[in-house]
Amino acid sequence: MPDPRVRTLAELLCAYSLDVQPGDLVRVDGPAHAQPLFVELTRAITVAGGHPWLRPQLPGVSRILLERGSDAQLGRTTRLDEISGEAPDKVLTVWSPENTRALSQVPGERMARYNGARRHLTERFFERMAAGDVAWCGTAYPSHGAAQDAGMSLAEWEDFVYGAGHLEDADPLEHWRAQSARQAALAERLSRASALRIVAEGTDLTVEVGGRRWMNADGRQNFPDGEVYTSPQHERTSGHISFAFPSSYQGHDVEGVQLWFEDGRVVREAATKGADFLTRMLDTDEGARHLGEVAFGMNDQIQHATRDTLFDEKIGGTCHVAVGMAFPEAGGSNTSAIHWDLVCDLRRGGEVFADGERIFRDGRFL
Amino acid sequence: VRDPRIARLADVVVGYSLELGDGDVVVIQSPALAEPLVEELFAASLRAGALPYVRASVEGTDLAYLQNAGEEQLRYLAPHMMEEIEVVDARISVHAEWNTRALSNVDARRMALRSEASRPLMDRFMERSASEELRWAVTAYPCQAFAQDADMSLQAYEDFVFRSGWLHLEDPVAAWRDFAGKLTQLAERLGEVRELRVLAEDTDLTVGVGGRRWVPAKGDRNFPDGEVFTAPVETETRGHVRFSYPAIRGGREVEDVQLRFDGGRVVASEARSGADYLREMLALDDGASILGEFAVGTNYAVERFTKQILFDEKIGGTFHMAVGAGYPETGSTNRSALHWDMVCDLRGGGEIQADGEVIYRDGRFLPEYAPDLAPPDA
Repeated sequence: MPDPRVRTLAELLCAYSLDVQPGDLVRVDGPAHAQPLFVELTRAITVAGGHPWLRPQLPGVSRILLERGSDAQLGRTTRLDEISGEAPDKVLTVWSPENTRALSQVPGERMARYNGARRHLTERFFERMAAGDVAWCGTAYPSHGAAQDAGMSLAEWEDFVYGAGHLEDADPLEHWRAQSARQAALAERLSRASALRIVAEGTDLTVEVGGRRWMNADGRQNFPDGEVYTSPQHERTSGHISFAFPSSYQGHDVEGVQLWFEDGRVVREAATKGADFLTRMLDTDEGARHLGEVAFGMNDQIQHATRDTLFDEKIGGTCHVAVGMAFPEAGGSNTSAIHWDLVCDLRRGGEVFADGERIFRDGRFL
Repeated sequence: VRDPRIARLADVVVGYSLELGDGDVVVIQSPALAEPLVEELFAASLRAGALPYVRASVEGTDLAYLQNAGEEQLRYLAPHMMEEIEVVDARISVHAEWNTRALSNVDARRMALRSEASRPLMDRFMERSASEELRWAVTAYPCQAFAQDADMSLQAYEDFVFRSGWLHLEDPVAAWRDFAGKLTQLAERLGEVRELRVLAEDTDLTVGVGGRRWVPAKGDRNFPDGEVFTAPVETETRGHVRFSYPAIRGGREVEDVQLRFDGGRVVASEARSGADYLREMLALDDGASILGEFAVGTNYAVERFTKQILFDEKIGGTFHMAVGAGYPETGSTNRSALHWDMVCDLRGGGEIQADGEVIYRDGRFLPEYAPDLAPPDA
């Protein structure tokens, strides 16, 4: 008997996140070990009248390409890659690592060559998304790799992941609709603010967000979800912020990160673990020392950090900022090759002021 | 430790069967359970300079689709699939299954609708294959489900599979090249024949093959391989045939099939079990009751029937034929969504006559007609 929550997840992804309509061609990517979810998605997509296009991946194959491919092989794409991005009406990416460090031995320059060759595909896909020609959602399916990073057994991790998706609620669809409405109201309130001041232990940071658009992350592009975010004016951040939670970026662990800003730029950084890596990342390019995102986590089912950004950035009562690439749809213009989210806990004594007015205290909007 | 024969199989398929080279776009289609072979095929393709893509499948999604799809969905062919087929230089299909009966209880009509929908794809695939724009190879990965159907343990079945590909030999590629030469000679000789008559127990069948091309199946499109095949003239098949082995398709087994032909078409069919399914398939479309293939199995390392057509049709000492679509490169004009092979043993008293002359007896071509086709140690 398969876990009934897998069926609920598949149905919610089809009905709510992707809104699958009759005739939609729906591509699903994910590791082959997410087989139970592939089966339930096939069922849900088909029942909705869509055409499933399943692309289970064998993770070893990408590793072989990255480790052994020639420069020409790493650096070349074909019409097949373009078709994959152009043909579907909806795309679902299933994140479910068997081993989050499987690619840690791949030299950075090989990784960069591979990603660089695919940049035009990503750009073309974002264009299609922006034009409303394709909808995309990324979702988590529990795996040993992610459970291990979070310090849990697989069974505990399943409870955590499905809990964060409210899949055991009497009516998960209703929950997400209500969550969406709550977040929309908050985004509307925040869009009237021009400066936000975030105050907590080790943190007193001011970001300018006047004229920027606050986005409602309500389970349509990520699942589970729950945040409101925007891209701040990246030349105007000032102050200091401390991140309570450990972070893992590109397979590297960092802990106890602190950043000091002047005129939007990180002028000093510190970390209790991974400090060198932090500095290296911030030196990637000029944009890497500026903020591309400021956001508030709104998912109250997520209480603990897991080293998985998908979940950590949604912890109810936290805020996060990302150094690097901004979101054009939010009005952001900072560009960088990195986008690294770091989460700051505001649940014990944290406060947020919008243009001087207190709007948030101890993890809750007032 | 991974069985070293898996890497040897991959090397032979990539290097001998497909001769992959620089910049070839190759798609490797496989169920996820054949992951070890897929990894070796992928690595071997990279070594050859090719650009490999994997299209894996997982257990249970086919059934979920077939159970829930409406008629309109079953009739749908996504346009991108037609587009993809134009891009591909080579395709490797790995056969393996979790359970060969997983689709046994799906309504045959639904299965038929789906294969009908994919017919333009199959037609185009065969066209590109005939014009040599696209190379393809089918191979198999030993799995529990196939072993079970073959009445073997997985270990014994692995030996069977790898032995069938002559991968136990010191230099399998050399043996296959030698075999390819002999088989090509045989195919050329058969090309001069106008009419073949097959005689065996309850079988007396005549097929017209005049003007058709015989293809030596020497390990390039199937691996393992070993047969010579052509497409009979569509209007000339006559007589009757009784197949020694069950006919298997889509997880169904039809036992003791007997077919009677007149004017090229099946005019009567019978079977001990599955007769209704057989009739349904023969009526699938206009071409489904006409032969698309006639062939003689010539792999003498394959000795037993294992219920996998890739191996069964190669059994040295058998002949087989397929109702439905024929390969255009043989000269076939028959089109159908069906291509169903059925195998008959000739090792115990069978005979083949070419324009009245006996050329084959008891499972072997007569030495004066063709060189010995057995691999070095069989």
